[in-house]
Amino acid sequence: MKSYLDLTIKEIHEALVNGKTNPLELTKEAIKRAKENNDNAFEMIIEEDAIKRAEELSKLPVPKDNYFFGIPYVAKDNYSTKGYETTASSNILNGYVPVFDATVIKLLNDAGAILIGKTTLDELAMGGTGTSGHKGVTFNPYDKSHTRLVGGSSAGSATAVSDAIVPFALGSDTGDSVRKPASYAGLVGFKPTWGLISRFGLFPFAPSLDHVAYFTRSVFDSALATELLAKHDENDSTSSYKERDNYLSYSSDVKGKKIAVINGIINSIEDKEVIDAFNKTLAYLEKNGAKVEYIDVDINLLRAIYPTYMIISCAEATSNDANLDGIKFGPNYGGKTYSEVMFNARTKGFSALIKRRFVIGSYALMRENQEEVFLRAQKARHFIVNTFNKIFEKFDAIYVPAAPSIAPLINKTSENFNEDFMIADNWMAVGNFGGYPSITLPIGFENDMPLGGNLFAKPFDEVNLFGIASKIEEGTGLINLNYPEYASKKEGK
Amino acid sequence: MKPVNKDVLKDAANRLLFDMKDEEYDTLLKEFGAIQHQLELIGNIEGVDSVEPMTFPFDVSITYLREDEPIEPLSRDEVLKNAHDVKDGQIKLPKVVG
Repeated sequence: MKSYLDLTIKEIHEALVNGKTNPLELTKEAIKRAKENNDNAFEMIIEEDAIKRAEELSKLPVPKDNYFFGIPYVAKDNYSTKGYETTASSNILNGYVPVFDATVIKLLNDAGAILIGKTTLDELAMGGTGTSGHKGVTFNPYDKSHTRLVGGSSAGSATAVSDAIVPFALGSDTGDSVRKPASYAGLVGFKPTWGLISRFGLFPFAPSLDHVAYFTRSVFDSALATELLAKHDENDSTSSYKERDNYLSYSSDVKGKKIAVINGIINSIEDKEVIDAFNKTLAYLEKNGAKVEYIDVDINLLRAIYPTYMIISCAEATSNDANLDGIKFGPNYGGKTYSEVMFNARTKGFSALIKRRFVIGSYALMRENQEEVFLRAQKARHFIVNTFNKIFEKFDAIYVPAAPSIAPLINKTSENFNEDFMIADNWMAVGNFGGYPSITLPIGFENDMPLGGNLFAKPFDEVNLFGIASKIEEGTGLINLNYPEYASKKEGK
Repeated sequence: MKPVNKDVLKDAANRLLFDMKDEEYDTLLKEFGAIQHQLELIGNIEGVDSVEPMTFPFDVSITYLREDEPIEPLSRDEVLKNAHDVKDGQIKLPKVVG
């Protein structure tokens, strides 16, 4: 260990309580690492204010029951942060400075967590590669030759936690935007039940699918964040009124737990090492008393997941991003009429990729197409969710690999469009269709690149989900996985 | 469904108040070939039209009256902070009527 910053939130907290470190020391180290990092994870490093806040907190006693006190963190640049430019990695928002904090930012800051930076993403969170933001490609920490992506859209947040710059990062997840990069970067990536955590201040992409989500380096840390952030919020009309659980009350006892493995997803994965790593974790669960069952789901349903996601998300985005017009905020390039002002701002502000997605969304919503395209996709979503809800009537969780491979090469991201690969590469969007809690965690390595597994449970069943995940974590021993430590251990061998 | 060609795509883009380079419309036209196939995949779900369209993951309808308490909204100055051109407390735009 080089610094207490290398530890999990739980361990850093213990060190803070015991006076072995302080918020200022941690924050200075985090900022130093952020500045030295060359994986292109940051839109902005917040130095002066973070140091000032850390100095204030260092003078206070450390509250024993507040795990986030003095913990440096980063947020994806689609969270409103009062006083700090927030662009969602899109040129259309260059210079936009929010005048309020997102609810989750406020909860973290009020707890004494210290925001040290805003991180890169695929433009407006619409993408899964971490290559389309206005700052260019964000790289995978495990590949210092910079040939592999870290995944997206929450690219910079994944890199920052994986590179041990911070132990916690906010991301957002509309299709798998936290859970997929978590797999590629060897992290725990968690998306809660839809409505559990307020989205107030998170830039909307597709609100029926959007979730606050986050990266940590242990299952326990993920539960800690949920304990802090899962609060009802009057500012978010979709915020659930359901009473919150004690998310730290989970048990890793999996005896009698019924776990479903979906054949169609497993069969769509060609990489034997992914399957081997997955099977090892499955065997560990079984050894500890879990009942594993392989089940069939109609292959046509699995093949329809990606198209359904694409149509719904593009259509919702087309409508949501209509407010980006260069008038209320964002660069204004002038024009003779108000519509010309908007036309110029949007033509110059959006990248070609985003524009194409908007046109796809617009096509889906055209009066002549709505029934056959948009509404049919919404029906498919319903059909898929009904099918998965039925699975959860019999099982405590669904467990499958989070991705069909290690992190792909940057220039090969869009080459594999065969239908089977598409199933394994996109199935996690079901978690967004049905609002299911879902967690990715590391399960092994292939050629020194991490592999991840993913668990789903029924809505509001986070405690059960954390329990099963913690058992898998116990089996793999891959807790607090981060690249610097992995590299130094490898060198030591 | 509306047939897709470059003019339809250009019209859709312009209605969304932006334009693209000519070669980007070509790329998009090619992408629509893949999209047509994807729509077929959705259509392959047996009985897909037997369910209602789903707009949210689950029912969240809550009926309640909030307490009638005053809240402090953002100030006008704050709201206008990010606008390019502000005059007399309002956002200034090109004239609509001469």
